[in-house]
Amino acid sequence: MKLITANRLSDGRVIYVGEDASVVEDIASAALFDGDDADAALIAAASRPGTFVNPYLVEVTGHTPSGRDRLKETIRSAGPTVGNSLRFQESA
Amino acid sequence: MYRYDEFDAALVRERVEEFRDQVERRASGALTEDQFKPLRLMNGVYLQLHAYMLRVAVPYGTMNGAQMRKLAHIARTYDKGYGHFTTRTNIQFNWPALTDLPAILEDLAEVEMHAIQTSGNCIRNTTTDVFAGAADDELEDPRPWCEVIRQWSTIHPEFSFLPRKFKIAVVASKTDRAAIRTHDVGLQIVKSEDGGTAFRVFVGGGQGRLPHIAQEIAPAVPGHELLAYLTAIIRAWNLLGRRDNIHKARIKILVASLGIDAFREEVDRHFATLSQEALQVPAEELARIQAYFAPPAFADLPRQSAAFDRAVLADPDFARFSRNNVRRHKQAGYASVIVSLKPLDGVPGDITDAQMEVVADLAQRYSFDEVRAAYEQNLVLPHVRLDDTPALWRELMAAGLATPNADLVTDIIACPGLDYCSLANARSIPVAQALSKRLADLDWQEKVGQVRINMSGCINACGHHHVGHIGVLGVDRKGEEYYQITVGGSPDERAALGEIVGRSLPADEVAPAIQRALDRYLEIRTEGERFIDTVRRLGADPFRDAIYAFEFADA
Repeated sequence: MKLITANRLSDGRVIYVGEDASVVEDIASAALFDGDDADAALIAAASRPGTFVNPYLVEVTGHTPSGRDRLKETIRSAGPTVGNSLRFQESA
Repeated sequence: MYRYDEFDAALVRERVEEFRDQVERRASGALTEDQFKPLRLMNGVYLQLHAYMLRVAVPYGTMNGAQMRKLAHIARTYDKGYGHFTTRTNIQFNWPALTDLPAILEDLAEVEMHAIQTSGNCIRNTTTDVFAGAADDELEDPRPWCEVIRQWSTIHPEFSFLPRKFKIAVVASKTDRAAIRTHDVGLQIVKSEDGGTAFRVFVGGGQGRLPHIAQEIAPAVPGHELLAYLTAIIRAWNLLGRRDNIHKARIKILVASLGIDAFREEVDRHFATLSQEALQVPAEELARIQAYFAPPAFADLPRQSAAFDRAVLADPDFARFSRNNVRRHKQAGYASVIVSLKPLDGVPGDITDAQMEVVADLAQRYSFDEVRAAYEQNLVLPHVRLDDTPALWRELMAAGLATPNADLVTDIIACPGLDYCSLANARSIPVAQALSKRLADLDWQEKVGQVRINMSGCINACGHHHVGHIGVLGVDRKGEEYYQITVGGSPDERAALGEIVGRSLPADEVAPAIQRALDRYLEIRTEGERFIDTVRRLGADPFRDAIYAFEFADA
């Protein structure tokens, strides 16, 4: 299965195409696509450039990235694995 | 330090307004990402894994307290409360929104800062010796020349669309503390025969996928010919450099393929056609710039400081800090103090907004309102009275900024890696943290002495792994992070590329392997021999054996 991700135009944050073409930040809420549906959904996302910057497909098993870039996509979905951004989130 | 004149101020203000308009057009959809990308890159804005990233220029690494406070304000207001100092002595913010960028640039302009030419295929921020103006072995302060280069290269019409980026570094001593031979052009200030300022020029250095150490192209270019000579070099490359292959576009590839002698002929040919007069810095302008870098009003002090000596004797922790983080100064009774941004388990180069405020305050109170960014991703307070170092140290300790590990093995240079960077293949920060924790024992670190570990999360080598005494390069092996280790690299006046010791290691094996290599060094070094000198004497073999020793243990 595949899902569609991009960075959001306004703030660069990682976003996904959710159900009914919604925009979601949580990978667990991303819509899953198969075969031609994935390509069609990618084209639909690319046609919304005010939201999706450089959308592309991510291979997943369930909602877990499973393709060659699985580590990168896991880090994109969850944020940096270490460092000061985590400290910021804890204090927020 | 340098203050903007009306041209600088107008240029930066105009750029803020221009970029504000570009951002508005991007946000409204009038510009596509493909159209916007080259425009944002001209203003230091990248789109990374999680967000936009803004790289702010710190010309030749010099800042004042007001600038540091403004950086703290930006971190607090528009980001997640921290910034990251880079190996180009710039600072990066990892989380700004696109729509906040014009406001951030406006804030920066208030303190004479900007993000112009911090990315893209242009002449980037010129770096220099972090101890410029303080080191007792420099011929003169190299920063006025860096400022001359900055003014000449800013929005230079001929050099705004180069084959690739172009980096220049300047030192003014025989000891190279700015890694000039890893640069596209490295400049070493020397004395000309008539006693004036001249530049020994190296060209064609660079790291990345195809690393090269710069070669000498000219032994002593007179100061008044510097800009003409730089113009000739960059013009030769701009015309002949490859634009068909991004990996072969840097000047290092051209110099290597032509050979230094043929490249020199090209440069000389262009040099002969240039109008020397038009490219000469007027003497009064050079004097105006130099005046900004005049030494501060140092007090007339004895060389020894009783307060310093007492503190060394009374407090072993201060004694350790003074051994490792306090450097000699040309002015009697003063020292330069290294503020380590490499705390135990920290992120190399990261600093919080609160820490920036502290550093700004300390710079103003103790260091003539000056603070420097070092390419090693630390800060330096360049002009501190020895008498004040104990009090300064206590305040740094309270802010978590007094890790006494400058130039020791946990003073690790590392890029942001796959935790942030869209180019990376592997993470850098967790491996640096594992090393920081494993090698934390300060007594052991001091026994090991000066060792630089450099780590990059991909072959672009932002962490300068090729010239680390020990280099670590993250690679992707079928979706898994592995790390290739090199030994014997050196960024200084004996610049060398490290040798790859063997196949790459999984992440959790890196720190133990490096510790074994360093333990091996302790066994085989001669009296007083530094790690890098042991590698030079014996080659990489003893360290290779130690690094892969676990395989024999497992067998």
